[in-house]
Amino acid sequence: MATVEERVKMVTARVLDLDPAGIKASDEFGADLGAESVQSIELVAMFEEEFGIEMDEDEALSVTSIGSAVEYITKVCKEQGAAI
Amino acid sequence: MRDERKKHPLVDRTEVNLMEDIFPYTLPPRIHLSGPVVEMIDGKPVEFDFSAVKKRPILVSDTTFRDGQQSRPPYTIEQMVKIYDMMSRLSGPQGVIRHTEFFLYTKNDRETLDRCRALGHKYPECTGWIRADKGDFRLVKEAGLKETGILTSSSDYHIFNKLKFKSTKACIDAYCEVVAAAFEAGVRPRCHLEDITRADIDGFVLPFIDRLMEMSQGVPEPLTVKIRLCDTMGFGVSYPGAELPRSIPKLMYKINRECGVPSDRLEWHGHNDFHKVHVNGATAWLYGCDVVNGTMFGFGERTGNPPVEAALFEYIAIKGEMCGIDTTVITEMADYMRSIGLPIPDNYPFAGRAFNVTRPGIHAGGLRSDERIYNIFDTQKLLACPPRVAITDKSGADGVAHWVNEHLGLKGEDRISKIKVHKLARWVIDQYEKDGRLTTISDEEMEAKAREFLPQYYGNGGARA
Repeated sequence: MATVEERVKMVTARVLDLDPAGIKASDEFGADLGAESVQSIELVAMFEEEFGIEMDEDEALSVTSIGSAVEYITKVCKEQGAAI
Repeated sequence: MRDERKKHPLVDRTEVNLMEDIFPYTLPPRIHLSGPVVEMIDGKPVEFDFSAVKKRPILVSDTTFRDGQQSRPPYTIEQMVKIYDMMSRLSGPQGVIRHTEFFLYTKNDRETLDRCRALGHKYPECTGWIRADKGDFRLVKEAGLKETGILTSSSDYHIFNKLKFKSTKACIDAYCEVVAAAFEAGVRPRCHLEDITRADIDGFVLPFIDRLMEMSQGVPEPLTVKIRLCDTMGFGVSYPGAELPRSIPKLMYKINRECGVPSDRLEWHGHNDFHKVHVNGATAWLYGCDVVNGTMFGFGERTGNPPVEAALFEYIAIKGEMCGIDTTVITEMADYMRSIGLPIPDNYPFAGRAFNVTRPGIHAGGLRSDERIYNIFDTQKLLACPPRVAITDKSGADGVAHWVNEHLGLKGEDRISKIKVHKLARWVIDQYEKDGRLTTISDEEMEAKAREFLPQYYGNGGARA
C-alpha cells in the first residue's frame, strides 16, 4: 500500500496537473507547485476524499507544504481512525 | 501656523474593541455629537450646540407627491394612495415623517388627497401646495386642509426675471397679501422661500421674514407662518466659513436667532445638483432647523431632493434609537417603485438591489467570518435584506460559499465550508478562465449548478429542502 507521502503527492499531481515524480516533500503548494486559491480548496477536498477524513478548514488551509500536509493528514487520520 | 505635531504611542491591546457603543449593528451607527461648534458670523464668534439636536423635536417632511412628481410622469391615484399608506407605516406611530404635501389643482389631485385621508392615518399629515395666488385658497379651504405651502420665491432670478415684479417691495407686499388671505381663511401658511441660496439675504429675505413674524403676532399660534428654506438649485453649502447666501449655518443663524423664527417653524428643502443634498439637510437640523423636507428615494426635480429614507437613518443615528420608524418598509417601497417603473440604481444606498452586495472574494471571506466586517448594519433586521455576494471571477471559494449559505439560509454550524463547495467554485472559475465569460453569474445559474454539485442540500432529486 502506498505511503501517506506518496498518496499526498499523487493527489497533488492530479489536482495541479503535475508529474508526481517531480514533487518533493519540501515543495510549497503555492510558491513551488503553483497552486492558486481555488486549487488550494480543491486539494483539501481531494485529500479528504482520498483519506476518508474531514479536516478543519482553517487548519487545513494553513498547511503550506507537501511535508507539513503529510504530517497534518497523518495526525487527522489517527484522530479519526482512518486507515493509512 | 503653530507646529502642532506630536507623537502618538501605540496602545498595544489583545482584546477586541468593536466600538459597539457607536456601531451597535442592530441599529444604524450612532452619531455622537459634542460641542460647542463655532461659526464666525458678521465678524463675531457664534456658538451652536450640536449635542442639543438629540433632544430637539426634529422631524422629516415629505414632498414625494409634489416635488417628486415634478421629475416624472404623474402617478396614478392608486399608486399615490399605496405610497402614502406605506409611508405612514415607515413613519411609525410617533410621526417622524410628520407631513406630506399634495397639489390641489386637478380633480385627480383632490381625489388622491381624499383617498389618502380616508385611510385614517394620523401621519404623515396631509397638507397642500399652491402658488402665491389669493384665489387658490378656495382650493385649500374646500379640501379642508389646515396648512398649505405657498410659493414665495426669494432670489432676484425669480422676483425680477421670472415673476416680473418691478421692485422687491412690490414683491414682498404681494406675498404678504397672500399670507393675510391665508390667515383670513384660517389656513396656516408655509412660505416656501424658493432659491434662497441665491437670494439677497440682508436686503430681501430677512426683511420679508421680519414682516412675516410681525404678521404672525396677530394670529393664534397654530396659524403662525412657517418658513421653508428652499435650496432650489442645490447651491447650499454645509461647511463652516462659507459665505451667504450659500452658507446653511449662517442662514439658520440669521433666520432662527436674528429674526426669531422658532426651530419648529423652520424647514429645509434641498436639491442634489452638487451632490450635497443629504448632508445639507442634516446640517440644517444641526444649526437650528427642526424639519428636513425630502422625497422617497430622492426622486425630485432634476437631480432630486433629500432622500426621506436617508434622513430617517440619519435621524435614528442622531437619536440613538428607532423612534417607532419601521425601516423595513423602505425595501417594500423600493420594490414597489421599481414595479411601477421608477429606476433605482443598483448601488443606491439602502434601497438599490446591490447596496449590500459584495463582489471580491476576499470581502466575501470577511462576510463569512463576521458579516459586520462588510455590512453597514444588520440589514436583515433593519431592511429585510441580508448581505449578499454577486458571483464573478473575483468571488473565489469564499464568495461561492457565502452565496450557497445565504441561498440555503444556513446559519451557525450548519453553514457549509468552502471545501464543500469546491466543485461549484471550480465551475465559476472555468466560466471565466476557460469560457471567456464577461458577465456576472445570475442567481438562477448558480442555483442550477448548486443543485447539480450539492444535491444533498436540495432534498430528493435536487429539490430545495
